[in-house]
Amino acid sequence: MKLRFWGVRGSFAMSGRDYLRYGGNTTSVELLSDGGDRLLIDLGTGATEFAKQLMGSEFGKGSGKLPILLSHTHLDHIQGLPFFTPFFIKGNEIRIMGADPISGVSLEATLQNQLAPHYSPLNGLENLAAGVSIESFTPGAKLSLPGFEVATAAVPHGSMWTTAFRISADGKVVTFLSDVEYPSPDEPLPQALALAQDADLVIHDAMHADRDYDLRRGWGHSPARAGVIVAERARAKRLALFHHSPDATDEMIDEVVARTASQTAVPVFAAAEGAYLDV
Amino acid sequence: MQITFWGVRGSYPVPGAATVRYGGQTSCVEVRSDSGDCIIVDAGTGMRALGNKLAGEAAGRPGQYHVLLSHVHWDHIQGLPFFSPAYIPGTRISVYALLTAADELNQVIGGITRHEFFPMPLEAVPASFDFQKVEPGLDFVIGAFHVTPIALNHPFGSVGYRIDADGSSWAYVADTAPFDQVLHKQHFLPGPEPLSDDDKTALEAMRSALVQRLRGVDTVVYDTHFLPEEYARFPHYGHSTPDQALEICAEAGVRRLVLYHHAPAHTDDQMDQIAARYLAKGATRNIEVLTSFEGMSVPIGEIDDSHDERETTNPGTGVRGIKQVPQ
Repeated sequence: MKLRFWGVRGSFAMSGRDYLRYGGNTTSVELLSDGGDRLLIDLGTGATEFAKQLMGSEFGKGSGKLPILLSHTHLDHIQGLPFFTPFFIKGNEIRIMGADPISGVSLEATLQNQLAPHYSPLNGLENLAAGVSIESFTPGAKLSLPGFEVATAAVPHGSMWTTAFRISADGKVVTFLSDVEYPSPDEPLPQALALAQDADLVIHDAMHADRDYDLRRGWGHSPARAGVIVAERARAKRLALFHHSPDATDEMIDEVVARTASQTAVPVFAAAEGAYLDV
Repeated sequence: MQITFWGVRGSYPVPGAATVRYGGQTSCVEVRSDSGDCIIVDAGTGMRALGNKLAGEAAGRPGQYHVLLSHVHWDHIQGLPFFSPAYIPGTRISVYALLTAADELNQVIGGITRHEFFPMPLEAVPASFDFQKVEPGLDFVIGAFHVTPIALNHPFGSVGYRIDADGSSWAYVADTAPFDQVLHKQHFLPGPEPLSDDDKTALEAMRSALVQRLRGVDTVVYDTHFLPEEYARFPHYGHSTPDQALEICAEAGVRRLVLYHHAPAHTDDQMDQIAARYLAKGATRNIEVLTSFEGMSVPIGEIDDSHDERETTNPGTGVRGIKQVPQ
């Protein structure tokens, strides 16, 4: 299995020269199985760059199929949806899967609202030319997708819940734990540890440098050390710090990585837009 | 009066190496009168950096901010929840927009911070918001500014603004399609639709009202999202080309045009080419064409005829009073 980060930034897309090495696009991660199956997590602005690559393949001809998992529907995780060009090509089949964001508001209603006439000239999901299905699941569900097996769990994110994923393919495991804040960063919740158990790579929310966390407790995001504790306790093989703060320049992220790496034997790196990584 | 560009991009923010010089953030312009009064035009993602600057100036004190919206597509409102002065208690933010009713505005702007989309609902934000309905034909005054709303041609409606202050004026004309092929209404357009006679009359009326409002304006900032070859493929997307903007400016006798709302796919190198191409094209019609970039400030009302010292190959440089160049 290979993986490519198309967007690693949290909350807000950041342009400019201070954000070039790690990248300024909001959340979007592609997984590619050895057999060539693809899976996308989240539709942040990074998805618009992934879309350009897809359009050079069968998606440009209207014969692409893609499952997309949404961790949740905060804007930085869906703002690329109206500009994800494979949606505009008839014949593509795209499934968007995620939990209903809050009780009484479905995933489909939420995405319809994003494309409501006031907000978007698309005027609704029905105007996307591709075949698009919006599929709600209850966190805890196991999803069987072409090339991938996915286990899910709800984790707390401020005043709402997000969905975390354990994705298995080709005998390897990637765990995606973004937009999560445990009651204490030193005591990760059991469902997070279960998803991360023996994973080859854990991608974890690291919005805050450890020293900034006290000022931002309760905002729904983790300090860098929370991912370390998850990776160590779950015996994960590698940790990617993810969902970088929009205020974190490349130099600041370098510093967080250096500090975090000095605290643990687990290999740590900061997620960066760019090349495919071998899991 | 002076205007400063905080976001010049259309559709969605584009980070990365290809947008470092012109900028990747979406529509937001700061307007300052000589006396220091401030208006913000559009609340795209550029508004975050503007908010950080204004919050720094406010040093914790509450302020009163006025935000004129051209319309409420995401790329024009997405910065609002990240406008840091909104988190200073006692701050008041007045939002002006073209909608059928003020309560609808409350609902639409409030809707961008629904629980599904953003962690904090609008009513929980420390600042208090009020919403003002804008109607083309009804001028209004904000501090030193006289504001004239202008109807534009864009899906679900859009409004431009002529802003007069300190004895001069500029106009914000975004987002808009030209006024010949497509009349945008309140429904989805999969492609251009045939125009009825009524549609043609409505387009002509909209165009002539725009030209009339732009007469005597010092500087026009215009939605020039597309190059002509791109526009030909997407005439129903609601955006214009620099050529169409030049036509309108020439007819209105405007001397300075600022290209704005750049397509997200246009790289810095392409923007350099666009800037050079239209600087030359504008010169043949005696219109000075600038290409906006993040951080560019343009003094309004200080144009003169001495072009001698100006650099005409690199956009934005050498023009008197422009504070920063894309680097």
